[in-house]
Amino acid sequence: MEVSAPGPGLVAEAMAPLPDSSASAARGGRGRWAPALQRAVGRLAAPVCVPLATLVMRFGFRWRIRNAADSRALYASLLREDPRPLLVAANHLTMVDSALIAWGLGSAGSHVVHYRGLPWNVPEQSRVESSWLWRVLAYLMKCVPIPRGGERRVVAQVLERLGHLMRCGEVVLMFPEGGRSRSGRVDAESIAQGVGRLIKELGDCRVLCVYLRGDAQRTWSNLPAVGDTFTIATRLVEPRSALRGVRASRDLASQVLGHLAEMERAYWAGRP
Amino acid sequence: MPEHKILEKVVEILKPYAKDADALAKVSLETNILSGLKVNSARLVDVVLAFEDAFGIEVADEDADRVETVGDAVRLIEAKLG
Repeated sequence: MEVSAPGPGLVAEAMAPLPDSSASAARGGRGRWAPALQRAVGRLAAPVCVPLATLVMRFGFRWRIRNAADSRALYASLLREDPRPLLVAANHLTMVDSALIAWGLGSAGSHVVHYRGLPWNVPEQSRVESSWLWRVLAYLMKCVPIPRGGERRVVAQVLERLGHLMRCGEVVLMFPEGGRSRSGRVDAESIAQGVGRLIKELGDCRVLCVYLRGDAQRTWSNLPAVGDTFTIATRLVEPRSALRGVRASRDLASQVLGHLAEMERAYWAGRP
Repeated sequence: MPEHKILEKVVEILKPYAKDADALAKVSLETNILSGLKVNSARLVDVVLAFEDAFGIEVADEDADRVETVGDAVRLIEAKLG
């Protein structure tokens, strides 16, 4: 297993409640304490959960990320050197992409020591609620379930919570396509608004685009093939839009998807 | 613009996105766009953008969040048109 030392200047971890944002303050105490409590409980469980998840990936499924050192170094420097909100936006092919991407952005050791670097992610709510095991794991592993295909009002509440976390210095991982790429390639027409809306509302948000793909991954699936080796590519962007309202959210999400599509083209061009 | 004209235009815009043609034929102000007409939630943004183009209005994300029924859409457009 690849192990990279945590960046020396990564922001120190704190067990204190996450600072409040005006939006969540307006909603009352739960908006402030629920994510803070989840983070604190997850932080306590991290020394067991994070290495265990990594061991399962590395030795259970024998997965490997060939160039993780580069992406980890970049990610550590982004956390260390710039306090602005950071969103990770990635292509989506399998159900374990969020775990693989977290692994590609930091070793188990660095995520345990610098818990902030373990990104929050947004799994489908119905999947999380399908069993108690999933519920517990999702709670411990920084998940905020989102009802895909749900009312915009409900999705907006989840996005507000994610925005609050990002303003507090946490990193959020989202898939701009809103689901796994059914064609096996980044679908620039399948745009989930959430990514664009978060970028717009945060104002000074940086986006780390991540393209991850296993050598054996031909199309979408539940899990990557056992023994697969992944390539990870990263690109830091700061999307901006002169548009307003819903159109701006669409424009920003579209820009991010455009970057992922470009990264995919580069991936295939570089493949032997 | 009178409400029935707005409703007509809204239904016209919804046509290509509604998967339930029967529900669209019986559409009313109370019809839920997602569960009633079976419009894909990801395409709801396209619908809102089509409203913007058709009526020459601008819709904020927060306004779009409140659109659940055909009536919500009609009232939003009425309000924007002033």
